[in-house]
Formats: sequence, C-alpha cells, structure tokens
Amino acid sequence: MKKEILFSLNGIEVSVFVLGHERLIDVLRKHLSLTGTKEGCGQGECGACTVIVDGRAVNSCLYPALEISGKSVLTIEGLQGPEHRLSVLQQAFVDCGAIQCGYCTPGMILSVKALLDSNPKPTEEEIREALQGNLCRCTGYVQIITAVKQAARHLLELS
Amino acid sequence: MKRFDYFLPQSLEEALELKKKIPNSRFIAGGTDLMVQIRGGELKPSALISLRSIPDLSSIEINGSIRIGAMTTVTDLIYNPDLEHQAKLLVDAARRVGSPQIRNVATVGGNLCNCSPCADLALSLLVLEAKARIQSLSGTQDVPLQKFFESPGKSCLSPDQILTDIFIEPVSSNTKSVFLKKGRVKMDLAVASVALLLEMEGEICRKARVAAGSVAPVPLRLQKVEVLLEGQALSPELADLAQRMASESVAPISDIRGTEEYRRQIVGVYVKRGLAQILGWGLV
Repeated sequence: MKKEILFSLNGIEVSVFVLGHERLIDVLRKHLSLTGTKEGCGQGECGACTVIVDGRAVNSCLYPALEISGKSVLTIEGLQGPEHRLSVLQQAFVDCGAIQCGYCTPGMILSVKALLDSNPKPTEEEIREALQGNLCRCTGYVQIITAVKQAARHLLELS
Repeated sequence: MKRFDYFLPQSLEEALELKKKIPNSRFIAGGTDLMVQIRGGELKPSALISLRSIPDLSSIEINGSIRIGAMTTVTDLIYNPDLEHQAKLLVDAARRVGSPQIRNVATVGGNLCNCSPCADLALSLLVLEAKARIQSLSGTQDVPLQKFFESPGKSCLSPDQILTDIFIEPVSSNTKSVFLKKGRVKMDLAVASVALLLEMEGEICRKARVAAGSVAPVPLRLQKVEVLLEGQALSPELADLAQRMASESVAPISDIRGTEEYRRQIVGVYVKRGLAQILGWGLV
C-alpha cells in the first residue's frame, strides 16, 4: 500500500506517494525525475547517490523513502545559483578539471557541500576525510581536492 | 527487489506489538547493512519496523554513568562534546566506522545487533565493559556486552526483544586507551582491529582490557592477554609476550580481505603497538 510522504526538497515542500520498499533515490529519480543524483553500487560504498538530509550527507540508495517524511533534502539540482548559473562549488569543479565522466560528481559535490557548510576552512586532511565515501574512477582525486580548496577560498571571499 | 511493508512506530510498545503481529518482520535501525542485505537477496523480510521515530532511543545522557540510546548515530557519538572526555575509546572507534555518509545514518545499536565480528564500536564497548539494556513486552533486562554476541550475525536477542540502551561507566583519570584498525583504505571494514585500555599506577598495570575484531566468529575479549598484563610492570619484553599470546588466542578465517595468518600477525602487532603508544615507547 502506498503511503504519503511530505518533505522539503531543495527548499520546496513536496508530497509523494511511495511503497514501503522504495528508497530515497527511487523517490528522487523515479517519482520526481530528478536524475542528477546517480546510483552507482547501490550498497553505500561509492557515494554517487549522496544527497544531504537535514544538513548531513547520506547515501540515498540506503535511505528508506518513508523515513524522509518531515525532513529537508538537498540534491545537486538545488545547488545552482541565481539565474541558473552554477554555484561556486560547481564552478570550482569545472574550473579545476575535477570532472571527467561526471558520474561521481553530484555525490562528490554534495559531500563537499556538507563539509563546507559545517567547516568553511577545512584542511586537506579534512577534505580527504569528507570524501572517504565517494569513489572517482577517472580523476585520481587530485583535481577534486584542488577544486574543494578553491571553492572554500571563493566562498570565504564572498561571505 | 522484493516488496515489503514499512512501519514507523512511535513507541517501543507499538514496535514490539507490530513485531509480534507480523510474521517474518525485522526491526531496522540505520539500515546501512540491512538495506544492503535485502537488496542482495540475503534477507527477505515481509516488513521492516523502523526504530527511528521512537523518542529517547537516540539520546546520550551523562550523569555519573553514561547512557547511549541504541539509535544514536555514529556521527552523534563523534560530535558529543562530553563523550570525548568520558569515553574517548568509543569516539576513536566511531571515527573509524565506514564513510561520513554511513556514520551519519548508522547507529550504535545497529552496529551491535548486526553482530559482525569486525564491528568497530563493539570492540571499544567490550573493552569499556558496557551493559546492553534489552526490552520486551514482558520487561527489561541488562546484559553484559560480552554475553551479547553469539555468532556471526546472531546476538542473544530473541525476536521479541529490542536493544534500547548501552550503559558504560566513566573511566578513571589514570586510564589510557587506543583503537587500532587495519583496512586497505580508511572506509574499509577491518581486516583486523584491536581496542586496548590500561589503568596504570606508576609503571604497574592495575587493569587491562583488550579486545580484537575480525579474528573470531564474534568481537572477542582477549582475557589471557589481560591476565598477563594486570599487576605487572609493563616492559617491552612483556609486550612481546602479549603480542605472541594475542596472535595465539584468536581464531581468524581467511577471506577476501585477508588470510588467517595475516590477521594473527596484525592482532599481535597491534596489541604490542597499542601498549607502546599508551606507554610512550615510540613507534613499533
């Protein structure tokens, strides 16, 4: 039997009817056609499906859909800046060549967003720790770390 | 994936009643292991009964002794301002659990009830001599954590019981501890791990607690090593003996993450390294 969930998605209140076995990623991709969030391993290992729930990064492939009621979810679609411009964080990934195939990128960016929201001046060690749960098979991570440092710098300049 | 129903009871009684009523139902905590097992077809529950909406299960209270609600997330252990001082070993182990995304959702109770031999929190809680509070419709009982784990994936809980809280006593000020874990990369499950706690009086070890992970069917206290160390002046020679004894008193298996021999070796080295770190002998 389908049950209704009400939650805040990228700042907008939404209502979705879901089945008991569905997961947050199913709600995003299937019910709401928000395909920015990717499913990689489906086991919480790769982090491609990372979104932010109530301020914390989580694997949406392991998150039961019915648990999302009353919570606040941020996905990659919610990150863009004014006039559909990329956010500072997204732009830093582009500028630093931190994207190749791009499949891991939304998850990477959401993990970094959760980090920078709670720690605006992370050390390289803290950046690496925040990205422990996000695999990238293309870039070798070096450009990603550079992008995070650049984004942190730009965000501090803007604030 | 096979379909199942999902319930969000608002009280322990409601959760226990649902469990009794629905055949082949399972409790779910953070779900970071359970959801994987269901997707992999290893588990086929008819319904999941979530413990996330039950008040009080996810709080930490420090009032003389320490009470940790079973639904407390691993991240909440790490960021609790007092726990770092009162039970540093638990916080050290919490930092080594999975990835940030897993730590944000995985719970203390889930880590224990999963009964994995490699459970990071289980080791530190064994060494801290934690008690598990278990509730059923007929009442409450406290069980020493050492009696909680029965075999891989199996705890002492019967289907009509819920683990609600963990209790630990704060350690004395002359206590030092260390948590060491071997994984290929940081977010891996442990190939082998050791938690070590020493209560010292000058050079004499008054109390030693040692536990090892991924080296037996359950998270294991190494009581022979504890007896060897207690009441003794700790020397590098005694540490060598402890290393040998630790390697010999475990029963690891060979699997995809490591061989039996390697695990024995790591546990021995980590016991010695832990002693060296606590006693300031430099790197071993």
